[in-house]
Amino acid sequence: MTDNKTLAERLRERGVSRRGFMKFCAATASMMALPPLMIPRIAAALEQARRPSVIWLSFQECTGCTESLTRSHAPTIEGLIFDHISLDYHHTLQAAAGDAAEHAREAAMQENEGEYLLVVDGSIPLKDDGIYSTIAGITNLSMLEDVAAGAAAIISVGTCAAFGGIPHANPNPTGAVGVSEIITDKPIVNVPGCPPIPTVITGVLAHYLTFGRLPELDSLNRPMVFFGQTIHDRCYRRPFYERGQFADTFDDEGARKGWCLFKLGCKGPTTYNACATAKWNDSVSFPIQAGHGCIGCSEPNFWDKGAFYEPLSAGRWGTPAALGAAVVAGAAIGLGSAALARKRQAEASEEKDI
Amino acid sequence: MTVSEEAFEQFRAGVGMLSEMAPPATERTDEERVRIFKNTVIKKIMPHEAMDLETCVHCGMCAEACHYYVATEDPKYTPIRKLELTRRVYQREVSPNRWLRRLLTRDITAQELEAWQELVYDSCTECGRCSLICPMGIHIAEMVALTREGLANASLAVDEQRAMSHEQGQRGTMFGMGSDSLVQAAQVLKQKGIDVPLDQPQAEILVVTSVIEMTLFTDALEGTAKIMNKLGCSWTVSTCGYEAANFGYMAGYSGYHRAAAMRVIEAAIAVGAKTVIIPECGHSYPALRWDGAAAYGKPLPFEVVAISEFIGREIKAGNLKVNKIPAAGKVTYHDPCKLGRVGGVFDEPREALQALGVDLSEVSPNRAQSYCCGGGAGNFLIRRAAPLRAKVWELKRGQFEDAGADRVVTSCASCRINFMAGAADTHWEKPIESLVALVGANLAD
Amino acid sequence: MSLLDFARGTALQWSLYIFVVGIIWRILGAALVMRRKDMSQARISGAERVKEGAMTILTRSVPPETFEKRIRFSHITGYLWHIGYFVVVLFFIPHILFIKSFLGFEWPGLPNPMILVIGAITLATLVALLVRRMTHPVLKLISTADDYISWLVAALPLITGYMVVARVGLHYETLLGLHVLSFCLLLIWFPFGKLMHVFFIFPSRYNVGAIFARRGVRV
Repeated sequence: MTDNKTLAERLRERGVSRRGFMKFCAATASMMALPPLMIPRIAAALEQARRPSVIWLSFQECTGCTESLTRSHAPTIEGLIFDHISLDYHHTLQAAAGDAAEHAREAAMQENEGEYLLVVDGSIPLKDDGIYSTIAGITNLSMLEDVAAGAAAIISVGTCAAFGGIPHANPNPTGAVGVSEIITDKPIVNVPGCPPIPTVITGVLAHYLTFGRLPELDSLNRPMVFFGQTIHDRCYRRPFYERGQFADTFDDEGARKGWCLFKLGCKGPTTYNACATAKWNDSVSFPIQAGHGCIGCSEPNFWDKGAFYEPLSAGRWGTPAALGAAVVAGAAIGLGSAALARKRQAEASEEKDI
Repeated sequence: MTVSEEAFEQFRAGVGMLSEMAPPATERTDEERVRIFKNTVIKKIMPHEAMDLETCVHCGMCAEACHYYVATEDPKYTPIRKLELTRRVYQREVSPNRWLRRLLTRDITAQELEAWQELVYDSCTECGRCSLICPMGIHIAEMVALTREGLANASLAVDEQRAMSHEQGQRGTMFGMGSDSLVQAAQVLKQKGIDVPLDQPQAEILVVTSVIEMTLFTDALEGTAKIMNKLGCSWTVSTCGYEAANFGYMAGYSGYHRAAAMRVIEAAIAVGAKTVIIPECGHSYPALRWDGAAAYGKPLPFEVVAISEFIGREIKAGNLKVNKIPAAGKVTYHDPCKLGRVGGVFDEPREALQALGVDLSEVSPNRAQSYCCGGGAGNFLIRRAAPLRAKVWELKRGQFEDAGADRVVTSCASCRINFMAGAADTHWEKPIESLVALVGANLAD
Repeated sequence: MSLLDFARGTALQWSLYIFVVGIIWRILGAALVMRRKDMSQARISGAERVKEGAMTILTRSVPPETFEKRIRFSHITGYLWHIGYFVVVLFFIPHILFIKSFLGFEWPGLPNPMILVIGAITLATLVALLVRRMTHPVLKLISTADDYISWLVAALPLITGYMVVARVGLHYETLLGLHVLSFCLLLIWFPFGKLMHVFFIFPSRYNVGAIFARRGVRV
């Protein structure tokens, strides 16, 4: 599948104008918080970039991440960027199946050893030697270790690959974990989200193609440019939060007026993602704009952080039974303490007054 | 009628020698002192005191209520600090948090006990003003009394009070004077035509007096006798139980408190008295009125009233008629703490003054918020506390002058002594008088 | 488990248990020491004494002028920070939701800017009181470790609260976790230090009122 066309050539073949291409470069630059001076550099780099080999491994996943990337009503430049890579192995997208598919993977690995990009979606089960998910008889664990060994870098797409995601949620029957729990000797970029925002994935790829290296990452290996701020920080409903105007239910006056959804459990304040700025479906909307609070899907353990509709500042106070036990224990110790004090007082009474 | 300057100076000189005349205190090792103090506090602490000691937030407001702090601004007089050792014993030995407090606080030492003597005897009169200001509602004054008990048991009561307490508790005399002084005093009054019925077999009312009234403030005893006779009451004074003063109660010797109280209680029961009248002697009132039952072990079978309370009541009831004093001038009434703030007698003395037709000009603050005279709870006996009393006197004098008083009337011998001493030392000329004497001298025919 | 999850889960639960056990222990342990009956003849009936004791719980909050003029600074600053503290605790909406998760009901809150101003006044007052404690001769003399620990424990939630709002240095959820932990610390220290006055003030005021009332003195 390798050819030597540059991206610029490929875009022109598809009928994308130079103007449209520059617009894309400007958008990418702005999204990555790069100065406008960088736009020509991005354009130049992208125009000359050769197709890197990409191996895409799908483990315990729902294909939602791939859906997110590919689901577009019309061809988009982001989609074309995606076309520009040499996707040598991807279950859902590749035509080959069975042995042929695995041979394609092995061939790509050999041909581009040390240079190919590894994209992972889905978590990896560790329990019982990883037997809970296999591809062509190979466990996810061993395939990951095998493919990662020759990769230049790894991009973990989606919360499952990044942090274990839903398979990792309690009680985690398969012992599922994210990539970085297993691979520690390769550069890893986490692009979490359930699913992740497509422009964020292409943004990371564009960055890699432009600069030949991975973008600046935060402590959870997420690209700072997309995950540097919380949803709450950039939320258009933020002024309502500050003014103390909240929707109490999904159909009350506050909800109709578009007030803050904090009381309805919005996880915006603790969720680092670009939803409020990049938005979804060609920047049409994002969950909060649609009237539902953020569920924090791009954060580690989001599934186990309590109810989606529980306000963020709610405490987990424990059960009434435990509290009752504390009352009883307090009373018992208090009575015991008083009894001992009285005993001490009785002893002291041996000391007679003058 | 006022007391002669000469007699007063003689009395002061006598009191001034008390500390030298005091027999040596029982020898105790440091360990004994600490043990005894601790045991006293531990056994006597009560639930409301325990909760009080738990609730202090160290806001320091109590200092602003204390006349010693107000007069000197010396932080060591902060009332709650006077309870420091008591509090530490409570916290380390009795408190539910004792396990923690033992880690966080030091144990008390004999040196600290010695240092605290000055704080609870010289610079606290248990006047109770701090108990009124405390935003937590801590009854500080009551626990100073407890601290005194601990120190007294550990042989650390201040010399003068120890001397008086031992003498009264063990021999039943004061300044070497016994019941013969009472008989003498009665004879002196008899010569003036005033009958004091001693040792009647039965009487409705037992009147108790005090050594101070038999020697110095004889005007008060005379007034009392005249009033009782005027009312035509069935009354008597018992040579077995005539002394109201209770130095053991003040100094913190509960055994001596009981001994002195029991003499009066037994005398009252012996004559079948329904009422016992306490003379103008501050602490004598709570010693019997509020804490007599504890000494007796059960409720007292008679009523205890202060003489000023009794007079006010009789005047109000119309039983006692007095003449209006011509040109009495502006009179101010000083509320003795033991009678007023911690005794509840405010209206009766004023009732009597109204009846005497005086222009009553109140000091500010007065009644429950009134400042102490500076020498209550036996403080007037302590020689080394004289400079401190002098400072409080300046405070009181200022209040009297602000009230524009021409004369000061009170109903407590200690208050009177302290004011007279202060006035003498600062050449303040206004008379300081006894309410009973004033009423006794102005009875209507 | 993230710091925040730990703070508002495990830490919150255990500090609540320590708080509950501790306060009941401390109240019972102090209230049930040996009692002696006062056998003196009271001036007023038992029912009236109860009434006077209960009244003192209220009236002690408003001292007579003769006292007030000498304690005005302590009194005003005391009121200021206590009220400020309670307003911030009870009327900041995230706090209301926090309490609601325990009590099950909520009430209207105040806009955030107002809370920020009140919180700033409260914190400033607390700092002023700390400085005063360290400089005023009386307070310097009577202060103990408890006073400084309790100050810190009471001030930390305010300080960390501001750090959450101002996003100082760390991630929001880390700061929020620290804020919740500072509240847990408050719960844990509560039964062991002078913060217990929140409970003991009632019996103490009541008792002093009833004791004086027994003697016919209304305080």
